[in-house]
Amino acid sequence: MTSQSLEIRRSSASVWGSLSGMRTVPTVSKYIDTTTCIGCKACEAACVEWNETGRVQTVQTGTYQTLPTLHAQFWNLIRFNEREVDGGIAWLMRKDQCMHCEEPGCLAACPAPGAIVQYANGIVDVNPENCIGCGYCETGCPFDVPRFHQTTGKMAKCTLCVDRVDVGLEPACIKACPTGCLQFGTKDDMVAMGNARVAQLQANGFAQAALYNPDGVGGTAVVTVLAHGDHPDWYGLPANPHVPWGVKFWKKIVRPLGVIAIFGAVIGAFAHYTKFGPKEVRGADDRNANLPQG
Amino acid sequence: MSTVAPHRPLDAAVIAARDREDLVIGNEIVRHNRASRLIHWTVAVTFLISLLTGMPIWTPVFGWMAHLFGGLSVCRVIHPWTGVAFFIAAAVMFVQWVSDMRLEPDEKDWLGPKALQYMRYQTDDSNVGKYNGGQKLYFWAVSLGAVGLLLSGLLMWFPRAFPRVVLELAFLIHDITFILFAVSLVFHIYLGTAAEPGTFRSMVRGTVTRAWARLHHPRWYREVTGEEPRRKA
Repeated sequence: MTSQSLEIRRSSASVWGSLSGMRTVPTVSKYIDTTTCIGCKACEAACVEWNETGRVQTVQTGTYQTLPTLHAQFWNLIRFNEREVDGGIAWLMRKDQCMHCEEPGCLAACPAPGAIVQYANGIVDVNPENCIGCGYCETGCPFDVPRFHQTTGKMAKCTLCVDRVDVGLEPACIKACPTGCLQFGTKDDMVAMGNARVAQLQANGFAQAALYNPDGVGGTAVVTVLAHGDHPDWYGLPANPHVPWGVKFWKKIVRPLGVIAIFGAVIGAFAHYTKFGPKEVRGADDRNANLPQG
Repeated sequence: MSTVAPHRPLDAAVIAARDREDLVIGNEIVRHNRASRLIHWTVAVTFLISLLTGMPIWTPVFGWMAHLFGGLSVCRVIHPWTGVAFFIAAAVMFVQWVSDMRLEPDEKDWLGPKALQYMRYQTDDSNVGKYNGGQKLYFWAVSLGAVGLLLSGLLMWFPRAFPRVVLELAFLIHDITFILFAVSLVFHIYLGTAAEPGTFRSMVRGTVTRAWARLHHPRWYREVTGEEPRRKA
């Protein structure tokens, strides 16, 4: 269910959201510091508990990771990556979930009006009431986040705990984090905190440290501090995510041209009829002139 | 005083049109037998339902169509199945009709300005057989388009079985093929009804009048009647 008390900035397959223009709402963001994450998975448990997504059978992949990828009933996954760096081992943990893009590819690809919405505060949410389970959002998402739920036939993903944020609480994962590597606040505050942490890391031997807030999708409402900021792929993050060109070309160029072409054809047929008229048959054309039966 | 013939719904021409074609009966000529009409209507109905269930998914501009079926989620369930039914019907139609649809060399002009000249009633149709070049090209376009819609549609139906780049391509192919289909279908229906009176009967009764055949398909008229369609001036 989408939150009824929040205004909607953008809605899938719709011209406008429901912004009244009367309220000014700050954009919110999660802050994830991968350098202080200890991989305790408290956020995973909190997510399952708060959102009541039920139990999913874990899969042993040879690491501490709970599942190979996100799941329709598992929206928050700590990814464990190991990599040799400068002769040593870097054990990289990253909290994987919906990035809540400023320009959501899922929302662009979605054909069902109101099935994916972006609230005024920047949270991107799926409304199962309107979702038709077509899976177009999977193609639209540059982060491979939305998941199809086999039982309900609907898409599911992290809601950024919009039901909590709506009433002034922080998301469940943030609440559960014991190290403070997860924080929640306005986007401006979280970016400032991230930049300060990056400067600290750079001064402490991680010259490549960076804040992951990719421009290709207009920035995300999840900003991530990476010690190896020059290699987001080491953390399973795309280096330059953007709404797929195919989806943009399809929705922004082919579709409007197609609508014009179809209306044009109908108008053209009428115009033809008025200008040229029917190609009338001349001569004997009496349908009653057939030989009678027998 | 004129005499009115008694109403006979099943006249000789209609009975002949069950399983015969190219047969002259009185003032009428059998053009499409029952099998031919049945497959055309099957293609038409399956395509129409696919069209009405697909267009609201395509764009909210046509979202109102979804209400005909009980909402967008119903459309999403119906559309792939009627799509498959349409493909099967189109494949049967292809087998049934292909022998009549071989393009003659001069009919390739229909790809160019000849189609527009035809719409301006400027073409010399004296050598037109049972089907003109435009009809034949439309047949090939529909057959090819059905394959394109099926293949891209299957990818969209089972998105998790294919890589993302292939899916992006499938969306575009399905869209572009559909747009071409929709635009040409508007003219197909227009030409078969309002623009060329007497044509629609061949899809319901199976017959056309001699005068219709003389006007639109003179060579076919010669072949089936053995008469010259036009007196020399």
